[in-house]
Order: sequence, then structure tokens, then C-alpha cells
Amino acid sequence: MDIISSWIGNIPEFALPFALAALGLIIIERSGVLALGAEGLMLMGALAGIGTYLVSGNNAIALFSAMFFAALVSLLFAFMVLVLRINQVISGLVLVFFCQGLSALLGTLLDWTNHPVPGLPDISPWLLADLPLIGGLFRQNIVVYLTPLVFLLSGWFLFRSVPGLRLRAVGENPQAADSVGIPVIGYRLLAILAGSALIGLAGAYISVLSTKMWIANMIGGRGWIAVALVIFARWSPWKALAGAVLFGCIEALIPQLAASGIRLPQYFVFMTPYAVTLAVMIWVAAGKSGTSSQPGALGLPYVREERT
Amino acid sequence: MKKMILSAVALLAGFAVSFTAAHAEEGFTLKGPMKIAMLYISPRNDGGWTQAFDEARLKLEKELGTKIQYVENVPETASAIRPAAKRLIQRGANVIIGTAFGYSDTFKELSEEYPEIAFLNASGTTNGPNLLSFYGRTYESQYLCGMAAAAASDTGKLGFVAANPFGVVNWTINAYELGAKTMNPDATLTVVYTGAWNDPTKERAATQALIDQGADVIGQHVDTPTPQIVAQENGVKGTGHHRDFREFAPQATVCSSVWVWDRFLASELKKLAAGNWITKPYGALLSMGEGGTDIACCGPGVDDAEKAKIMAAREQIMNGSLQVYAGPITDRDGTVRAKAGEVIGDGDLWSMDWFIDGVITQQ
Repeated sequence: MDIISSWIGNIPEFALPFALAALGLIIIERSGVLALGAEGLMLMGALAGIGTYLVSGNNAIALFSAMFFAALVSLLFAFMVLVLRINQVISGLVLVFFCQGLSALLGTLLDWTNHPVPGLPDISPWLLADLPLIGGLFRQNIVVYLTPLVFLLSGWFLFRSVPGLRLRAVGENPQAADSVGIPVIGYRLLAILAGSALIGLAGAYISVLSTKMWIANMIGGRGWIAVALVIFARWSPWKALAGAVLFGCIEALIPQLAASGIRLPQYFVFMTPYAVTLAVMIWVAAGKSGTSSQPGALGLPYVREERT
Repeated sequence: MKKMILSAVALLAGFAVSFTAAHAEEGFTLKGPMKIAMLYISPRNDGGWTQAFDEARLKLEKELGTKIQYVENVPETASAIRPAAKRLIQRGANVIIGTAFGYSDTFKELSEEYPEIAFLNASGTTNGPNLLSFYGRTYESQYLCGMAAAAASDTGKLGFVAANPFGVVNWTINAYELGAKTMNPDATLTVVYTGAWNDPTKERAATQALIDQGADVIGQHVDTPTPQIVAQENGVKGTGHHRDFREFAPQATVCSSVWVWDRFLASELKKLAAGNWITKPYGALLSMGEGGTDIACCGPGVDDAEKAKIMAAREQIMNGSLQVYAGPITDRDGTVRAKAGEVIGDGDLWSMDWFIDGVITQQ
């Protein structure tokens, strides 16, 4: 098969987990909560997805279960940052370590490790899948086709709906939001739950639909890349999607280059994704200074008594 | 995985410590009956490296007629290894067996702290009067897997999913191609390094890319069975590493390089129990005849005549008459690596960073 068309066909599979995880993070961080726990929540989603599939044999139930369990675990994070008002950086890191340990332990005890699952069949719309070069883009499972829709809905919710406006208000200036009667803690809790569900789905996509099995720590740092993506996308869903596709392009290209026998320096190839991250960050930072769209209250706990 | 890597640097460390042990005239003798305990780096059902040790443990218990304690998930840090080992020693264990490269330094310290306890460590780099590191010559069994791969291939285009470009990985790659060429002189081996021991997502992408480019047998030196599972999904063949991967991909896996630690440990532990145990200054690098690795062969796609040829080669490796890295060997850039009549030495094997003709890799 031609290397270019084979490469293009593989991009969605790599881009999708970054995209979904970054979208989940954006929803949480737009409410003013700094979320670093994506790696851990993706692991929980990945484990719950595989476990549910092995028990139920149903992919849809597996994906929803992954969303549910990731949201459930995120309650712990929500309790720490919203109720106890523990530093959000530390809470996020604790969440990652906790999930790494818990998912490895459960995966071993329940014997869910190394069991292949079938994944979902590809859907190939008539004609589109036969296009030269980019036909591979249209031989994907249903989750890939639904993802742009999820982005559309989330974008509309955040920037066009009243609850979305309130959510952003809570993230920009919780005192002001509170003064007009918006429940700050309630919005933040819902944002954490919804965003975590999306991050869990990203993890389950990797385990249930892409890798098609569970191995301890299998997310392999992709959650951290999602965290970086959110920063360089300046908390905009569409830019995050573009960043995810860029990463997907690189990750999909690396094995294609090697398999086609093109000789490049090995360690340069290993380095490429990170070099591109750096380059894009520098480009973004140099491009437009002063128009930061970072949520104003990001990382700050809200205490009503301190209202001024 | 990190624990399996005895790099060139580590070898130098081995030289350094060897001076302390080189002139030990009296062997080591246990006080009291042998009581064995093992430290596992991963869960015992990890499907690969550690599970092979757990399977060996069960066989050893039968063969030696003793219970063997074990501790799972001991990471490669002194703060985790020391308390686990000390607790086992307090419970009466006098033989401690480790399973990781990263245990090397801590085991060295412990062996000096507890001179009356015997320590063994798989893929370790440190040795002493009461400490022996051991590892298998995986290139021998992978040579045989290369033969099986070429036998099962229709196109002669073989693929290989490898972890990191280190000596222990490169020696399996070259041996795989050497073996393949004995069955099909035109066989080529295209290698994709994932840069990780344990990343099934990258392994799947690498395997799929190799198959898309026309490879019809996929070898591997990574820790998960993912390449075999992907090969089976695509209706092509593959060869496994660590354990018999027919467990995961019965239609695809034509041969696996498997650890047979019980063969080595049973004889070594009997020597230890008998007293006057002599360790080796550079550790024990086990050839197949000594019980490091073996093959689980052959799966579908290898016919009886081909299987007979592979088994004959296995017999020759077992009795030492076939040396995989016997010269003449010239690398793909034309440098002579071994002249006729020479065999490449262990030091050069550990630091192998060249490939023979027919191996296609990045630089």
C-alpha cells in the first residue's frame, strides 16, 4: 500500500485520544479548575472500558462505563479542590499517581491484562472510502465520525449557550459570577464530571478500539501531551483539535517511515513529537502576546467569604 | 525493558566489580537448609518476563521439593528492594533471586551486608562471592525463530518490532536475519523501533505499518504480545518473545523465543545447596544448552521438512556445534565484524550497534 495513503488513514486513530482528552481538559479549565490529572483519568477509562467489554461483550456499554468510572474517580479530585481547597497542581498530580496504582492493581487482580478485544468495525461511506490518497480517512469506526460532532456541540455549549457563558464566567471571575447568583462550586463540579467523562472516553478509545487490550500504564504519557495541547491551543476547542491532528500526523508517520525503509537517525525520530511541541509553543508564544485567553481564575480556589 | 538491559556501560561496571571476586578460592556454602525467595519486578501474570519466572518457580518447587516465597511489583529502586529483601531474610530465606537489571546495585550492597545469604539476579550486572547475575543468549533462540519466520513467509519480506536500539535488542535482530537467510537467502528484515518496552499502541502501529508495506511475518523484541495479535488480525504470521505467544495468537505465532529459567536455576540451586558454590566474575550468560532460552516451535505455516531443519539447528546450538555469531560476518556497510574461524566475543555482543546485510533499519 502506498505509504502516504496508509499514513493518512492512520491519523484519526492517533489524533482522537488527544482530541477528546484535550476537549475534556478545556471544559474543566474553562471553569477555573486547573486539571493535570488527564493521564490518570485516561488510565481509569482505559481499564474500565476493557473490563466492561470483557464482562459485557458490548462496545457501547464499555465506552459509557469508561466515561462513568472516570467521572466517578474525578469526584475525589473535585472533593479535594472544591471542598478541601487543596492546591490544584498537587491534587492533579496525586490523582495521576493514585490512578496509576489503582488501575495497575485492579487490572492484575481482576485478570484483565493482555486479553485482546475485537474493537469496532470500520464504517466506509460509499465513494468517500475509495477516494485516492485520503480514502483511508473514511475507513474509521463510528467514534471517529462522531468526534467532530462532539466538538461542535461542546463549542456551541461553551460559547453560544447561557450555561456555557456562566461556566466561563465562573472560570474568569467567580466573585462576579457568584454575585449574580451563579452557583460557582456547582458549575465547577459539573465541569469536572463532564470533562473527566470525556477524558475517560479518550482512554477507553485507546484500550478498547485502538490497542484493543489492557496493559498497566498503557497510556504512556499521552495524558500529559493532552495537557500541553490545551495550553498551546489557548483553551480553544478547535485549536486543540488542530493540535491533536498535528500530533496524530507525527505519531502515525513515525512507524510508516521506518517500515518503508527510509533511513533517518533513530533518536531524531523518537524526539520529533516533542520537538514539534516545543516549536509550536514557541510559535504561539511569539505570535500574539497579550491576547491570552487563559481563564482568569484558573488554578485559584473560590472562597465565598473572601468576596470583596 | 530497562531491567533486561545489560548495556556496554553496565558491562564495564561488571569488569570493575569482578576484581573483587576473581580470586575467591573457597566457594560459598549456605548455613542451614536452603530457603528460597524471589523478587518480581511486575505482577506474576504480566504475560511475559515475570510470568516466565513464576512458571519457573512452580517447576522449581516441584523439582527441589521446597516452597519458594515471592514478592510481586518490586520496582527498581533501592528504597523498594531493600525492605522487601530484608523482610524475606528475616523470615529465614537464605537465597534471594531478583528479576531486574535495576536491582543490580542494591543486590551488590545487600550481598556485602549479608555475606551468609546467596543472591542471584536475572539481567543484573553485578557479581560477587555470594552474588551471581544471569541472562540468556536470546540471539540463539531468536535465530531459530528467524528460520521459522522465513519458512512461514511467502514473500521473503519479514518485519520486526523492536523496543530500543540497544545491544541486546540488536543481537536478536541480526540473529533473526541470519537464521532467516538459512531458509531463504533473499529474506529481508525491516525493523521498527518503538522506543518503549511496553507501549501496545506504538507496537500496534508499527506492526500494522510493516504489514501495510508487505511484510508477512512479524518478529518482535518488545514485552507485550501486541505484534502477534495484530499479525493474527491481518491474517499474517509472527514470532513471539518471552513466552509461547500461541496463547494470545494461535493462528499467527509460528515460533516463540521462551525463557526456561527453571533449567538453569534448578541446576544452579542444586550446586548452591551442595556447598562450595563458585560464582562467575562476569555473571552467567547462558546459552540454550545451559537453560537460558529455548523455542516453542512450530506453529502453522512451517512444514515438516522445515521444522526438521529448525530442530536440527536447535540441537546443534544445544550441543555447541552451531555458533550464531561465528565468522565470517560482514555488516551491511562492509566492515568485517568477525573473520572466518572467529566467534564474536561477549563484550562486542553487548555493544552491538551494526546490522548485517538484509536488515533494514533507521540509522
